Amino acid sequence: MTPANPIAPAAEATPPKPRRWVGPWALLGPSGLWLLLLLVLPVLVIFELSLVPGIRPGDLVNPSGIDNYLLVFQPVYLQVIGRTLSYAIGTTIICLLLGFPVAYWLALMSPKRWQNLLLVAFTLPLWTSSLLRSYAWITILRPTGVLNSLLGAIGLPGLDILNQTPAVLLGMAYSFLPYMVLILYSSLEKLDRRLLEAAADLGATPIEAFWKVTVPQSLQGIAAGSLLVAITSLGDFVNPELLGGASSMTASRLIYNQFLGATQNWGFGSALSMLMILAVSLGIALLIRYGDGRPAA
Amino acid sequence: MSQTAVRASQAIETDTQLDVELRKVFKVYNGETAVRGVDLHIGRGEFFSILGPSGCGKTTTLRLVAGFEQPSAGEVLVRGQSMLNVPPYQRPVNTVFQSYALFGHMSIWDNVAFGLRIKRCGKAETEERVNEALALVKMEKFARRYPNQLSGGQQQRVALARALVNRPAVLLLDEPLGALDLKLRKEMQMELSTLHRELGLTFVMVTHDQEEALSLSDRISVMNEGRVEQIGSPSEIYESPRTPFVADFIGDTNLFRGRVSEFDRTGSAIVTDNGLKLVATPSGDWAGSVGEAAAVSVRPEKVQVSLYPPDLSVNCFEGRLQNVMYLGTHVHYVVELRSGDRLTVMQVNVGGELPALNTPIYAYWSTADALAMSAA
Amino acid sequence: MAAAAFSRRDFLRRTSIAAAGLAMTGCGWRLAQVRPSPGSVGDRTKLYIYTWAGYTDEELISRFQQATGLSVVVDIFDSNEVMLAKLQAGGGSQYSIIYPSDYMVRQMRERGLLRELDRDRLLGLKDLLEPYQNPSYDPNNVHSVPASWGTTGLIYNRRRVPEPPKDWGFLWDNRDRLKRQVTLFNDQRETMGLALRRLGYSYNSQDPEQIRQAYEALKELRPAIAQFTTDGWKDRMVAGDLSIAMGYSADAIEAIEENDQLGYTIPASGSSLWTDTMAVPISAPNLEAAYAWINFTLQPEVAAGMTARLKFATANQRAIDLLPPDLAQNPSLFPSQAILDRCEGIAPVGAATPLYDRYWTQLTSG
Repeated sequence: MTPANPIAPAAEATPPKPRRWVGPWALLGPSGLWLLLLLVLPVLVIFELSLVPGIRPGDLVNPSGIDNYLLVFQPVYLQVIGRTLSYAIGTTIICLLLGFPVAYWLALMSPKRWQNLLLVAFTLPLWTSSLLRSYAWITILRPTGVLNSLLGAIGLPGLDILNQTPAVLLGMAYSFLPYMVLILYSSLEKLDRRLLEAAADLGATPIEAFWKVTVPQSLQGIAAGSLLVAITSLGDFVNPELLGGASSMTASRLIYNQFLGATQNWGFGSALSMLMILAVSLGIALLIRYGDGRPAA
Repeated sequence: MSQTAVRASQAIETDTQLDVELRKVFKVYNGETAVRGVDLHIGRGEFFSILGPSGCGKTTTLRLVAGFEQPSAGEVLVRGQSMLNVPPYQRPVNTVFQSYALFGHMSIWDNVAFGLRIKRCGKAETEERVNEALALVKMEKFARRYPNQLSGGQQQRVALARALVNRPAVLLLDEPLGALDLKLRKEMQMELSTLHRELGLTFVMVTHDQEEALSLSDRISVMNEGRVEQIGSPSEIYESPRTPFVADFIGDTNLFRGRVSEFDRTGSAIVTDNGLKLVATPSGDWAGSVGEAAAVSVRPEKVQVSLYPPDLSVNCFEGRLQNVMYLGTHVHYVVELRSGDRLTVMQVNVGGELPALNTPIYAYWSTADALAMSAA
Repeated sequence: MAAAAFSRRDFLRRTSIAAAGLAMTGCGWRLAQVRPSPGSVGDRTKLYIYTWAGYTDEELISRFQQATGLSVVVDIFDSNEVMLAKLQAGGGSQYSIIYPSDYMVRQMRERGLLRELDRDRLLGLKDLLEPYQNPSYDPNNVHSVPASWGTTGLIYNRRRVPEPPKDWGFLWDNRDRLKRQVTLFNDQRETMGLALRRLGYSYNSQDPEQIRQAYEALKELRPAIAQFTTDGWKDRMVAGDLSIAMGYSADAIEAIEENDQLGYTIPASGSSLWTDTMAVPISAPNLEAAYAWINFTLQPEVAAGMTARLKFATANQRAIDLLPPDLAQNPSLFPSQAILDRCEGIAPVGAATPLYDRYWTQLTSG
């Protein structure tokens, strides 16, 4: 005989309600905390600093206006921003022009079993420090460097482009080309080859098929790759710094000067940073909004 | 492509009335031979089908005509002109692809106009021809839509219009109805047939569906393992198969393999490996010789069964009923002969009680219904 | 005055950064000494030092360990501002010794970030060179002890210039033939400063008009400037690709060792004079160890050994006396008093700071 347990039936009668909110919190909590601590809070700190005119390390944080932001619009700083943008745009165009044929070859023409190896080989430069890559370019481009030795050996006049815009663009394009190739590759790889056959069948030469089918079909990849390269270029200061000439200041270097240079104007640096963050976020938002959709109906 | 025209009657005279010709064509991919010495002669205005199981080389053959593949040996001619080194975009043929391959970034109208724009047709002419082509496939209303907004059948029609608008000498169709459900398939088969009649254009269609091939084609080429097994009209293919493969692939059949033992007035006698003696009519113009390997095909519907021994001296065998399936209009029997061969029998249901399993039973057929062919 | 950096430091920094593949974090100067941020704050057996690359070596540290039993952990910074930022952020509270430059000593002192030193516990202050007994950036060395000093000058390639430059004016006089063959520091105070000095003004001018004139002068010079770089000129100077580079004396000595066509001049009208010091952050743990380190490096033979091995000028007179003559009398390392009299330390410019920044941005982006 088993004595009745007065507690057991009661406990059975009220099983614990499933707590629906526990799951999402448990799953998102760690990464959410991560984002909060390492992204949201620092951005808020920078935002607060950007509201203090001319704040230097050690000063009291006393937000009092948008003077720092107004400062950005002075011609001298606009010029810096303009150069930064033109470097980014130039780099993007070069990467697109150089990267598309490579990605096309990798995705559609290279031997299938070598494809992964070739892809890794092509992105190998990403595995080295950006600083090392820039130094390699200095070694190549300087007046008595590798390039001019080669040109001299085959009887061509030397090139002197180090410390000028072409050298900066070369270095930046070299640095970011792998991103472009990777993204274009993944886009082109998805391209339905039968569409190219259909185009050929309808009388399109390979070149016509490229412009009328391949390019429109990979527009998303082109947009995504260009935006990624442009955004990354905006933040690059190693290449302009090492390969550029007397007039090569970029927004990144300007910000660096405000924080870690002699100026120590953290307020202005923060305002510049906020604008960069805003510009990049806008770019990414555009990418998410339009980069993912199907061709418009 | 300007010298090609929609209607055969308007075609510029060439030295041959053949639209497509393949001469001893081989295609080798990575050491594997997909097409082995195919000869085809497709006449102007014909609806010609290439039929075979998957992997038989039929699609490769079509791609050789379209120009997506180059033959490893042999020659492809279209309208009497060698297509050697002629790229797809210069060939007077157009293809309807299995997957339709419509351009997703273009509207239906632009898809259909693609070929004409490439050829720099005038604006007015382009407009007229595109509208005409869309009307032909009853898709005028969908001109502004995009491919991903259409059903499979609708996409199929657009693919047809996109090819036909170019007025090719030959229309190539690669499993054009393969992705459609049965009902749509039947509907589209009718439409294809109508289109072919109206346009008088040469159609070359690849399919694995024998019914489709039989119902639509003027002539069929049955392919197997890269070779053409037989070319003929649908009735020839069905009624007079030239090889055991064709006999087996087209419809159901009972195949016996053996050797020719003698000839008599009624036909040839063939003895199978396990001792059955069959008397059969040579299929087509086959003339076997004594000792030659041969096969005999008997269609299930031609076999009679009886519980009592019929009064026949040949082609009558005793066996046991192994399986009976009641199919409504028909009854399907499986009879195991004493020799061990199994026979499939299909008889019209005439009512009455069905015999029990294991009942001893006699199976027989007329000599005219047993077709003998080479099994070499 | 990322200024007070030897470019050799920067060279080492670059190498170590390259090895680690990081762009901005500080790295140990030897792989074996690369440490993550030390965890054991206040560990009495360990001394944490935050300094420039090239100011310590294996020998110095092992000798210190022999003498005191304390092990040393060295972390490296590449600019005063980086060091300050790290201390400000609280990430540097384990350091007992830091090496701020002159102007940074003043800034940190004014903000109460440095601990006042107990003079009774320091041995050998009296051996310091006379000017360092009472430096302007830290009167009476209340918060710091000078560790090394040097000048800024011009390194030139004899094959590529008609005559050795004597003064800053050489750059302007020859700017047409020096098209993109000159590098100046990527440091607004040093580079603006040389232009101020060339015009006869102070390195530390706060006069807007003078600063504007300096900017205009540099703008005129721009076609001759290949790059603004504090340390990136060395390889290219040694390879003979550049004609003239602005550089620190210690870097000049190294470059000349590699290419004997190179020479070094301290411009006649004077240049900047920089000092790096040892100081104790207000948050420093383990003060015993901090004093032990300062006293250890103040010993004449230790200081002389450092100068001989690491090629920077010590501020210790008795150490200089111990040096071999080729070092003690090297004018690049120890310029004459006459020249030193015309040199000037770089000091904060107060309200003029944004003005410098504005003109500098304009110069480097025009």
